[in-house]
Amino acid sequence: MDFQAGRSANWFTRLKNSDLPTAALFLLPSLVIMGVFNFYPVASVFFLSLFKWDNLSKIKTFVGLDNYISLFQSSRFWNSLKVTGEYTLVVTTISILLGLILAVILNNRFLMGKSFWRGLFFLPVVTPTVAAAMVWILLFNPGFGFVNVVLRSLGFDGLNWLADKIWALPTVMTLGIWRRVGFTFILYLAALQSLSKEYYESAEIDGANFLDKFRFITAPLLRSTTIMLVILGVIDSFLVFDQVMVLTRGGPANVTEVIGMFMYTSSFSLFKLGYGSAISVIMFLIVALFTIFQWKFVGFGSAEEAE
Amino acid sequence: MRMTRQPYSGQRMPRKYSITLLLMLILIPAALLILVPYLWMLTTSLKVRGTTGLPPYLIPNVFEFANYLKAWKAAPFLRYYLNTGFVAVVLIFARILLGSLAAYAFAFLRFPAKNILFLLFLGTMMIPFQATIIPSYLIIRDLDWFNTYQALIVPRMIDAFSIFLLRQAFISVPRDYLDAAHLDGCSHWQSLWRIVVPLSRSTVVTMALFTFLFSWNDFLWPLLVANSEQMRTIQVGLQIFAGRYQTEWTYMMAGTVTATLIPVIFFIIAQRSFISGMTRSGLKG
Repeated sequence: MDFQAGRSANWFTRLKNSDLPTAALFLLPSLVIMGVFNFYPVASVFFLSLFKWDNLSKIKTFVGLDNYISLFQSSRFWNSLKVTGEYTLVVTTISILLGLILAVILNNRFLMGKSFWRGLFFLPVVTPTVAAAMVWILLFNPGFGFVNVVLRSLGFDGLNWLADKIWALPTVMTLGIWRRVGFTFILYLAALQSLSKEYYESAEIDGANFLDKFRFITAPLLRSTTIMLVILGVIDSFLVFDQVMVLTRGGPANVTEVIGMFMYTSSFSLFKLGYGSAISVIMFLIVALFTIFQWKFVGFGSAEEAE
Repeated sequence: MRMTRQPYSGQRMPRKYSITLLLMLILIPAALLILVPYLWMLTTSLKVRGTTGLPPYLIPNVFEFANYLKAWKAAPFLRYYLNTGFVAVVLIFARILLGSLAAYAFAFLRFPAKNILFLLFLGTMMIPFQATIIPSYLIIRDLDWFNTYQALIVPRMIDAFSIFLLRQAFISVPRDYLDAAHLDGCSHWQSLWRIVVPLSRSTVVTMALFTFLFSWNDFLWPLLVANSEQMRTIQVGLQIFAGRYQTEWTYMMAGTVTATLIPVIFFIIAQRSFISGMTRSGLKG
């Protein structure tokens, strides 16, 4: 009894001494907006995924897990996962590699005009994806696009890149890489600049060459940045949508239909909202898994915490 | 005559230049790969209509600025600019206001279930936008908000990442400042705006820049909820415009330059804040 009373008094004084009224007031607007546009939709999308609901009609039929079952039986769904996987793998890997190379070059103490180079390689990150995709359509135009013009002048045949079943996806990937390299490069550069010069100087005294220094000093120290970039890159590429929507809309013959595009088409072109919700749920689960990895290994997406 | 008595640099300088030369040999082609899309976009937008198919050239001999006039006449780009700018400005102020309030509560106030609530907020960072888009779309429909500014603004007025960034900045504000302010009779509201936010200026600026970039480049959400001619934001407007003038490359690129120009200018002006903000937060563009 005493224990009970002591506890509740303690609880009561803690509440009395707390800033609850101010806190409630300060948090209320965020809570309302988050509640309506984040918490409720997450719960709702799980709920909707259990229904067959087409064309925003009045009739919603409870179908249990049928949407998931038909998804897992649909080759289009597996295709979209495969395409997304390929896109993610290629874009994440290449942009990390190129970003690392650029960062190592820009970190060289002899290089002049560093802030110019840094700004230049970062520029695509701030360029709108839709606008960049418009330029891509032009660059890869089969007739007079820059790419084919260069290829022809070198004696090759041009291609109809975005309509080609083999080359459409790689073409979309080039845009993803072009926009991503600036991001990986800038984070690597920040990590490199935080490395102590002493390591390198003592290595030089020991006669280490450029490659030795990279392999034995730089690479291990860049490990945490790399892990972060892999996870962030995977999440980002997994959700790719804008460039696919503008460049190919998933075509030709679904070879560029990433899962985000598949979800959009199912939900907002075909208006199969229950089915689309099931795709949303799967996207959510996959991304949540990677985000938990990120938090576990890197912290809340902070480069500083990564080091 | 000045004889060099600098054996060190005499030996060092050639090495410096040879290394710089070597690095330039890698950097210049890489830079070209980055720049070709911009150059191609710019020159195409200035070519005379119908000459894009001729043997390609990078620098037009005639600068056809009229393409821009025609593009701006064919689609209400001014209106798109105003829509996008308005949404961006409102979002920036809303996120600074709401984000600071929430971050202050999480950083300095004592209240029950604080940690659970903070984790719940952070948890929303793992929800991809595409996971909530169908319910959000239905909410906008139920509110009858299609083709309104509130559809573009209200759902985006706060995000967990802004709160997280601000809270990180706020907790580094010395507690003594706040205690002193409270002894002088400052309310929490006053100490937030007079002490905490001014001391966290760089984070607030970073957040504002990213919010601006986010709203300028945003595409999927405006495409779904605000797709009328009058309500389009710039990227949606550009996409519709391109669909209509598919083969009119000169106009299309004039429109594309229009959609690209503002963030690029912003970046050139605020390059340092952009880059330091991005490296500090690991935030994506």
